[in-house]
Amino acid sequence: MPNARYTDLQLDALRELANIGSGTAGTALSSLLGSTIELSVPSASALELAEAVEAAGAPEDVVWGVVVPVSGQVDATALLVIGDDDARTLCAMLGVEADTDTGRSALGEIGNIMVSSYVGALATMTGFELDLRPPESTRDMLGAVVASVLAAHSDAHELALVLDSELEVAGEACTLSFMLLPTPAGVAELLHRIGLGD
Amino acid sequence: MGELVASASAGDVLVCVGLGSCIGLALVCRRGRACGLAHIVLPDSGGREGDRPAKFAERAVPALIGALRRHGVHAESLDAILVGGAQMFSMSTGMEIGARNEAAVRAELQRAGIPVTASATAGSVGRTVRVHVATGTVTVREAGSTEETLR
Repeated sequence: MPNARYTDLQLDALRELANIGSGTAGTALSSLLGSTIELSVPSASALELAEAVEAAGAPEDVVWGVVVPVSGQVDATALLVIGDDDARTLCAMLGVEADTDTGRSALGEIGNIMVSSYVGALATMTGFELDLRPPESTRDMLGAVVASVLAAHSDAHELALVLDSELEVAGEACTLSFMLLPTPAGVAELLHRIGLGD
Repeated sequence: MGELVASASAGDVLVCVGLGSCIGLALVCRRGRACGLAHIVLPDSGGREGDRPAKFAERAVPALIGALRRHGVHAESLDAILVGGAQMFSMSTGMEIGARNEAAVRAELQRAGIPVTASATAGSVGRTVRVHVATGTVTVREAGSTEETLR
């Protein structure tokens, strides 16, 4: 029973928060790239660590991972996962090369802009004060990136709450996966603030 | 993740794919009888229960030794090979899990009297480990790189 810790109503509400957050992040990405961004409906799931990694995709695929820690009244980690080809497309749209320091910092900046708009929307809705730390990006195996973030973040907690949004750059076959991973205490704070606390 | 396997079937290749801060612990019988591999996620359980026997280092090492014993292999004839334990991001908060994982696994192995004969750990790269049961060969591969033999 992976979702046993949260009720369907709570997960629906968290999904709606993710929806508004990723909508705002999509708008920010759209104005950065000058392209239309299409959003899929986000998912909110409480997953066992291994399930969360399995759900992310083929573990040996090489991806770019951009991590932005969120602190303040809610502690969370934001993780942006961009496939290798997708990263090249994004960098080309910004006029830089992917596998260079400039490319790396461009991807970090995309992460920064998306996370700050997503988190800004969350903060406005909930009235929380939230701070971002600088982004850090790496290019490596998907499993290694996602598992390391989740392990560091969830420690021995058996379930991780994953708010997952997919953003697609229209006409470019370029997809970004955005995950917000609040700590269990952070989830409790969010739910409490929207009137669905235990 | 959190799983372990022991095999004495010559055709088997045991694999942990995409290890970041996790540890792939290979135990290989020096007499060529069997091999085992565990995918360890966290250093200690803090007393929590869990249905994945290899999730925590403190339980994974005895569990893997137990699985090999069922193939008639005793701890005295085992070599350990460690892969993973990387720090994928340099952020301070909680991100040192990789190093803590490695230290916890090494401490458990020392308690069991099993020598670590090779390792590819730490750094900031993801790795995949393969154990070829027929030969006891252990190989590691980093993202975008070629297979290297550890044992």
